[in-house]
Amino acid sequence: MSKSSQAAPERLARWRPDRRMNRRRHMDRLATWMSVVAGAVLVVVLLSILWTLLSRGLVGISWATLTHGMGPPGSGGGLGNAILGSIIQTSVALLIAVPLGLSCGIYLAEYGRKTNYFADVVRFVSDVLMSAPSILIGLFVYQLVVVPWGHFSGWAGSVALAVLAVPVIVRTTEDMLRLVPTAMREAGAALGAPRWRVILSLCLRSARQGVLTGILLALARVGGETAPLLFTSLGNQTWSSNLNKPMASLPIAIYQYAGASYDDWVQLAWTGALLITFGVLLINIAVRLSARR
Amino acid sequence: MSLDRSHIVKSYEQELDLLRTMMAQMGRIVESQVGLALDAIAEHDEAAADEAARRDPEVDELEREVEGLVIRLLALRSPMGPDLREIVAALKITGDLERIGDYAASIARRAMKVVDEGEKISLSGLRSMGRLVRENLQRTVSAMIAHDPSQATEVWHADQGVDEHYLTLFRELVTYMMEDPRNIRSCTELLFIAKNLERIGDHTTNIAERVFYAATGDNLPALRPRGGARKSVAKDVKKS
Amino acid sequence: MNVGLTTSPENGSSADAEAALSVRDLNFYYGNHHALHDIMLDYPARQVTAMIGPSGCGKSTLLRVFNRMYDLYPGQRATGEVIFDGMNILERTVSLDILRARIGMVFQKPTPFPMSIYDNIAFGVRLHERLSKSDMDERVQDVLTRVALWNEVRDRLRAPASGLSGGQQQRLCIARSIATRPEVLLLDEPTSALDPISTARIEELLDELKEEFTIAIVTHNMQQAARCADRVAFFYMGRLIEVDTADRIFTNPRQKQTQDYITGRFG
Repeated sequence: MSKSSQAAPERLARWRPDRRMNRRRHMDRLATWMSVVAGAVLVVVLLSILWTLLSRGLVGISWATLTHGMGPPGSGGGLGNAILGSIIQTSVALLIAVPLGLSCGIYLAEYGRKTNYFADVVRFVSDVLMSAPSILIGLFVYQLVVVPWGHFSGWAGSVALAVLAVPVIVRTTEDMLRLVPTAMREAGAALGAPRWRVILSLCLRSARQGVLTGILLALARVGGETAPLLFTSLGNQTWSSNLNKPMASLPIAIYQYAGASYDDWVQLAWTGALLITFGVLLINIAVRLSARR
Repeated sequence: MSLDRSHIVKSYEQELDLLRTMMAQMGRIVESQVGLALDAIAEHDEAAADEAARRDPEVDELEREVEGLVIRLLALRSPMGPDLREIVAALKITGDLERIGDYAASIARRAMKVVDEGEKISLSGLRSMGRLVRENLQRTVSAMIAHDPSQATEVWHADQGVDEHYLTLFRELVTYMMEDPRNIRSCTELLFIAKNLERIGDHTTNIAERVFYAATGDNLPALRPRGGARKSVAKDVKKS
Repeated sequence: MNVGLTTSPENGSSADAEAALSVRDLNFYYGNHHALHDIMLDYPARQVTAMIGPSGCGKSTLLRVFNRMYDLYPGQRATGEVIFDGMNILERTVSLDILRARIGMVFQKPTPFPMSIYDNIAFGVRLHERLSKSDMDERVQDVLTRVALWNEVRDRLRAPASGLSGGQQQRLCIARSIATRPEVLLLDEPTSALDPISTARIEELLDELKEEFTIAIVTHNMQQAARCADRVAFFYMGRLIEVDTADRIFTNPRQKQTQDYITGRFG
């Protein structure tokens, strides 16, 4: 007891931090606080958007809004045809984009490793496409589909959305397949399985969570796009499920109604915005849940 | 095959060195015990006899230590190849050395009981047997320290001489006993001494065999060849 | 001195049993890197042959030649011969599907497929055979029993294999490999990722499997080679230095390099 108390002053000196250590500790605290504040700002902004949408849009949600087609101001029109159009066009877009994106991702991950010049080009183009402004995609599809056909159509809108979705699917598929250990491929091959079998039954299967997440992310991205649809499916005031004709969609409905001077149209725009936002939110939550499992 | 490289694990190398040192030490003590016992017979030297008996506990203690170290090495190091052979051989050799020490002590004790009243009993046969046994033991111990299989083989062959000595001595001592019954007591002691020397010779041969095994990984033949067969064994030894 | 650790040199130098795999003048290249030099080696049928040596000595490379695993990677090539059932398996004409069904492989890390325990085993079988449901059930139960896994998993055959412990997964992988009824089993450090109890189970399993299969095992664990193998081949710098019975290699190897390696004097 007496021994330890004698040694105490020297020992305490050894434990005392010097000035540099103190400064580093303060910097550390400061940085921590700044990130917390930044995070808080973000959450506040997001919550205020959600709050505005809820408070303005919720009142407009009714059976009529969901089932009635768009109509002239004051006629009690709804968003039914726009919701249907959005569902049809994103579904068709995914039907085009998923096989294309998956195949391309598989090619890049399984065959395009190491020194494959063509694969490098494909990967680069896909990455550029992912960050391209969506209005450009719209113009591109306008030139490619609308001009030759001579009219706007749901098909053109679907193609434009598919072009947007493909790079996202390609990138996530490739990344997820690359996470599959080489040992899995070798173990499959060692049993005598041909390569396509190994890729489809083993690699893709073990990467399925990630690949599915990528597809849902692509869906969330294209679900809210307006710009590429302006030049392609144009929008439609009436019920139509004909992909050869111009087709309504929620983002375009919002675009058309938001700036209108009729109160009921503005209300519908808010409601549409609420529907899209919660649709995307639901998809994101679904992605999280599926990734967790 | 000599192990000119040392182990990656230094403490393993140190433990092997310790084992070798202990074996050499044990060999030298036993060697000296046999020397003292023989002096006790030849010179009737009581001090030498006491000394020979006094060193026995030291040998026993070393035997226990070697056993402990060997078990430790086997359990912790998983020795392989030449290391394994050397360690296992050490365990066996230490037992032989301990027995030799016991025989030496026993010889020394008996030497004091031999009372040659008439000075009629010739000890020259026993002396030369003792010299051969002692020389063989010394050569075996140095073969053990040097990991030398050819020297071990020589000793192994030389033990035949010890056996021959024993038979001659046996006949000689029986003759003495028949001549004069007063010699029976002393001669019986001398007979026991001769038998003990012969046993020391056998244990020395065992050690030589184990030294040969540890060094080469091969066993010497189970039976020692007689006469002309020796040459072929010598050839085998050279090959390995 | 009859310690019984040594065997006479005659037994050591030649394989008594018929060779299941015969390697003749094998050279292997990773691109420009010459990884294996003039390997000559027999793998006796229904015996365990262990391949030991320091990392990068070529032992795994050799193992991967036997099921042509190197074919997956461009730039890797082998010359020479590996005779299996009268055929040089290095020939281009050899069907890899059939070869790999006849020569199975188990890897260092357990690699359960992303499917149920049942399907893990059925996957390989379905590639080569068309079995009825009941035959398949029987096959699955048979191989799982042989790897001593049946009692542990019989109630959850439909559960994902990833839920098994590491040791169970490795036994499942062995079961998967023997389900296609191969003649040769290649094991690439099969226990290096397992705990001692699981390792002991696998070693016990090898003892039983060698009644039926020819086994080639690569291992870094010398005690494991000593425990499991009938014969041991020592490789160093892409060359076969020495091959002999396990007894001989671990008590009295002929070559200085082997001796240095097994006694831990390398370097």
